[in-house]
Amino acid sequence: MKLYKKEGNILQILSFPNETVEKGDYLLVEDADAGKALIAQVIDVQFASIPGVLEELLRSLPDGGELIQGEDFDPLEIAPHITYIQDASLLICKIRATVENESLSPSSSWLPSRSQSTIRKLSIPTLLKLAKVDGKLPIVLGGTKDSSLLTIDASSLDGRLNIITGKKETGKSHLSKLLMLNMVGYKATVVVFDLNGEYHSLGMTSDGKRNAYHDKIHVLTPSQNFKVALKQVNLHVLLGILIHALHLPGTSAREFRRIWQALKERDMLSLHELGEAIRNWNCNQHVRDALFSRYHALVNSGFFTDETGGITLLEEYLLKAREQGGAIIVNLRNTSAIDRQIVVEYVLGKLVEQLTNWKLKAAFLFAEEAHLYLRETYWDDIVTRMRHFGIFTTFITNQPDTIRENIYRQADNIFLFNFTNEHDLEVVSRAARVDAETVKSIARDLAPHHCLALGRVVRDFPMVVKVKALDVKTMGETRLFFEDVD
Amino acid sequence: MDTALPQRFIEQSLHSLKAVQNQTIQLNQQSLQQPNPETQMHTLQLNHKPIFLKPICQEIVVAAVDTSSMRIGETSTGMLIAVRGATVWKQNKRYRYMRLGPFIFHATEENKRELYTTLQTAYFNTPHEHTFNSQINLIQMPTRIASLLEKWLQAMLTKTLVNSLILFDGSLTAGTAETPTHLMKEILNTARKKGNTVLAFSKMTSLRVNGHLITDALPSHKPPYMLETAGLKPKPPIVLLGDVYVARLTHGNYAFRLDIDREFAYEQKIEAVEKLLGNDLLSQSYPETLRLAHILCTFTANEVIAMQHYTARRYGLKIVNRPDMHRLLFGPFGKGDMNA
Repeated sequence: MKLYKKEGNILQILSFPNETVEKGDYLLVEDADAGKALIAQVIDVQFASIPGVLEELLRSLPDGGELIQGEDFDPLEIAPHITYIQDASLLICKIRATVENESLSPSSSWLPSRSQSTIRKLSIPTLLKLAKVDGKLPIVLGGTKDSSLLTIDASSLDGRLNIITGKKETGKSHLSKLLMLNMVGYKATVVVFDLNGEYHSLGMTSDGKRNAYHDKIHVLTPSQNFKVALKQVNLHVLLGILIHALHLPGTSAREFRRIWQALKERDMLSLHELGEAIRNWNCNQHVRDALFSRYHALVNSGFFTDETGGITLLEEYLLKAREQGGAIIVNLRNTSAIDRQIVVEYVLGKLVEQLTNWKLKAAFLFAEEAHLYLRETYWDDIVTRMRHFGIFTTFITNQPDTIRENIYRQADNIFLFNFTNEHDLEVVSRAARVDAETVKSIARDLAPHHCLALGRVVRDFPMVVKVKALDVKTMGETRLFFEDVD
Repeated sequence: MDTALPQRFIEQSLHSLKAVQNQTIQLNQQSLQQPNPETQMHTLQLNHKPIFLKPICQEIVVAAVDTSSMRIGETSTGMLIAVRGATVWKQNKRYRYMRLGPFIFHATEENKRELYTTLQTAYFNTPHEHTFNSQINLIQMPTRIASLLEKWLQAMLTKTLVNSLILFDGSLTAGTAETPTHLMKEILNTARKKGNTVLAFSKMTSLRVNGHLITDALPSHKPPYMLETAGLKPKPPIVLLGDVYVARLTHGNYAFRLDIDREFAYEQKIEAVEKLLGNDLLSQSYPETLRLAHILCTFTANEVIAMQHYTARRYGLKIVNRPDMHRLLFGPFGKGDMNA
């Protein structure tokens, strides 16, 4: 390989056919005299602009589009040299860091010698070692192209905002399960909004046996094993549901507050009493109608109950998870859009409550397709306010444009699976921790189950990894009509 | 087939390159593919009455020969030369080719005589002192060696083909250092004995009538047609072994000097061109077979780089870029030797 050009932080390197370099590979451009080296990542592989190639191709096709037949008597065997030159490639590389005295700096301001520099492939283990991508809480994400393992540190997800995105069936949920189970393994409290009921069998191996996580996976299905009594709900949580999920106007919300306080003083907080109180409350008829419609929405959700015996308390599971780690899977499958919002408002409200009271230290929230249940104002909350409470979110989506631009800008880690759509790539490339060229060039060619890890987890050295398989019962497969047809 | 010449080409190529190991070479991409110098002619007349041609579609093999040479670099003692030749033939409506080379030689003042005479001997059986005595210049070595290869390829075609049309690049002028008269006569004799007809197309000509190039003075008749020339008398020792025509074979204002073996009767000459029209594709008045031969032997920039790569790898020649004196002295006004 030979250094050809440097423009800004882009290097152009000439590579020959016997040097197999692909997109995503790292190269070390070492200038021994300067005592420094550049670490550059290949973001595109192009044909080198070799003079005369067009003529070469044209003359091989002169006979009406068919190859002209003939014999070449090439005694000096120049033909392999012609092929060698003709197949030379130009590697477009992004400078990631400078190595000097075994320490890394993000500088790309110096120019290595074009004639004297040596260029070689940098293996992922060496790079990980240089970048100090290790730690006490390792999570093996999977294998890299050079058959080494990519191990990240769980603490690089701690206090961070993460995004897992890619088009359908590329392995997003699989990675999210892998991260989640590893976090549980390190005794973290994890809450999952499981939109498609994919996570509830994580406590089982693929052949249906209990696995090490079995006792730490708690599946809560709203209106089945997950109900709440009004007495267990704080007024501000319920008001949050009424205002944000059920869009109760401010005036009506004020009346509701009065009704609630009146019932609470008399220790009569139940669905039945609430209904009666609204019916008999001395207020404007429009307000009463508004309150009644929301009341019926709450009742019809089946999520609220007057039966306090035998119902699951979210707090109990959160406390349990705090002690030994665990995942609370909120199964939102078969839940209507309104009910989903009610449940999510409740869970988030409860989480904030627990965290505010320091009953919980922190919680990792995994939200699949969050735009389907997260209200508008929560997006900003999650990246700013809730982070300070200790809610560290991982968004998982196949529609990157459903996540706001400011979320991308503040994302600490992005796990990017394949996207071919230009618009999708454009959206993801707005992330602050990565350059648009890398995203657009590498993500387009990612194979299924291969992901481009970006951000803190890889110390800002984007790496492609084939996400390792999990021995858990997967439930995320699409149900097919022609499944049984050979 | 007599393969002595190609064998000598390989031997001399390897021999000359071995002697130059681990030197530095200066890249030189300037092509030496120059047109053959026209012989001096006098009293040239052009008959403006066209000879109209009708394609004869009776199937016949059309074959063509061309060679290229190139200076691919300079060493401290000489130059690296690349030579390649190609023959193309059209048979059963398909084109096929055979390409020889590239052969790479290191020619120096010291070895130029040995190199050339060895190759010459391989072909003529005896060295032609007359030819070499004509003061071969080192700079002429590429064209001289290429010419040897071309003559050998022409001879091979005339020997192996029967009742065919053989197209040469250039003219049927002989008596030059590169084309000895007896050699050219021998080639044409062999061709005739085998029932072959030789047609030579010149891409460029300097023949003029009344100050105008003969290929420019085209009457406005519907092609294909030819114009006959007369009164060409080259200065000895140069001889013309063909009759010279101006051939406008397709629409468009392209015409070429066409030399046809003068030993053939007038009708046979016309019939040969008519057979060419019926058997080969003609674009811009130029036969496709000859065009392909030219294309196949021409060196592309990519091949020049590959040959430089070969010499660097195989013989340890280090490529250096000496400053271009024209550029150095005259900046943007220095266009290099070719335009000096």
